[in-house]
Amino acid sequence: MNLRNIEFLIEEAFTGIVRNGLMAFASISTVALSLGVLGAFVLTALSANHFAAAQVGQFQLAVFLERDIGEPQAHLIADNIGKLDGVASVDLRDRDREWADFKRQQPGIDSAGLQGNPLPEAVNVRATAPDLLPGLAVKIRAFDGVQRVKGWEDFARVVTLFRALRAISIAGAIILLVTTAFVISNAIRLTLYARRREIRIMQLVGATNQTIRIPLVIEGIVFGAAGSLVAFVLLRVCGTYVLYSAQDVIPVFSQFSSGLGSGDLALGLIIAGMVIGAIGSLVSIRRFLRD
Amino acid sequence: MIHLQDVSVEFNNGVRALSDVSVSVGKGDFAFIVGSTGSGKSTLLRLIYRDLVPSTGTVVVDGDNVTGMKSTVVPFLRRKLGVVYQDFKLLPQKNVWENLAFALRVIGTKPREVRKRIGEALELVGLAHRCDSFPNQLSGGEQQRAAIARALINYPTVLIADEPTGNLDPTTSWDIMQLLEQINVRGTTILCATHDNQMVDRMKKRVIQLEAGRVVRDENKGTYQYSES
Repeated sequence: MNLRNIEFLIEEAFTGIVRNGLMAFASISTVALSLGVLGAFVLTALSANHFAAAQVGQFQLAVFLERDIGEPQAHLIADNIGKLDGVASVDLRDRDREWADFKRQQPGIDSAGLQGNPLPEAVNVRATAPDLLPGLAVKIRAFDGVQRVKGWEDFARVVTLFRALRAISIAGAIILLVTTAFVISNAIRLTLYARRREIRIMQLVGATNQTIRIPLVIEGIVFGAAGSLVAFVLLRVCGTYVLYSAQDVIPVFSQFSSGLGSGDLALGLIIAGMVIGAIGSLVSIRRFLRD
Repeated sequence: MIHLQDVSVEFNNGVRALSDVSVSVGKGDFAFIVGSTGSGKSTLLRLIYRDLVPSTGTVVVDGDNVTGMKSTVVPFLRRKLGVVYQDFKLLPQKNVWENLAFALRVIGTKPREVRKRIGEALELVGLAHRCDSFPNQLSGGEQQRAAIARALINYPTVLIADEPTGNLDPTTSWDIMQLLEQINVRGTTILCATHDNQMVDRMKKRVIQLEAGRVVRDENKGTYQYSES
């Protein structure tokens, strides 16, 4: 295939789009709406997963030491905990400040007859990965001078929920992706069906299958790219509006973020649109070129 | 030029369109194929431009055995043939000039050559003044002229016409037949399926008659009906 043929095939593709404007509009709208729905789901799922991951990441162990341990011994235990594999940070808690805070919150505590600061020495332990916390809790509990380890009991339940959320997100995205591909491919097939006479005439005047196929695949790619651009604008405009509106009612939504930049989102959508458009065209054309 | 040997065509639904047809058409011939609806005229023509493959028998066109031809080679066969249809089969989204240019550009003809050949073809069919018109802006006769111009654009050795005057009034039909004769005089072999008895009788060309998928008459300078002589 020489340069003249390539120029002709590209020209044919764009002439086809311009002169079949209504079908082009229908295809681009279908791509835009389908990818818009898919994109909205993926962004929501990503935001929910980021939010859940952030919550899981905040888990830490509260290690309470035995009551008669002094501060030097507490430092030693904290240092030993810090040497364990998987420990990200160890903070010795300021029991005097905590006791002062507690008294401020419970003003009647002074009349309970307590002598001095009854709070035990304690350390907060963060892990390098949240799922290491249960194992660390077991190891730390075996340390001399450690009375209790708290903060990991609900962790397993939260992680299970987080994993379920991630699995549902992935399954939903796959189902929606397949559905989107099917809907877009059907829209392109209808566009081609409307032009079956044109395809037939091309065959009869001696056009090779490649000459017929290439402009139609280019059209599919253009429909995919144009539709995904529209979907991107819809998602950015509507997504921002919905998120800001939701934040007014439920403040926790301010922590929602998909973590995807505009560039990544646009690139992802355009690539998805172009690939689906090209594959949809190729699959649909096969039917017309069979004979 | 065209040889059909013991050709039969049976469709998947069991209908037998042609039975043991053997016909030869020489270079520069002009032959009408006549017969009632369903007699197999269009089927016979479709075999020649390899729109159909025979169930049995062989079809040879310009030295190429079409029967076992690979589908990738078929477009190159069609470029050697010009085909004209009753419904013209012009691309509705392209104007006359673009319809003709398309047939050349799909085979990679240079733009200068495209302009030259389109000019010649439109001049021959008398349609140079309507080159910017779209098919729906043309009369039936003009559309058929445009279709003939497209069929001739690749300088085909054979022109196949399937009911070319089926949608046209008698005067326009006669003009189209005159045009086909003019093309034939230049050396192009013409095979024309038709129902138009008046045209066949006036043209006095070879007549191949089909009935129920069989050749029942093959007569030089024949008429639409059996001659009494």
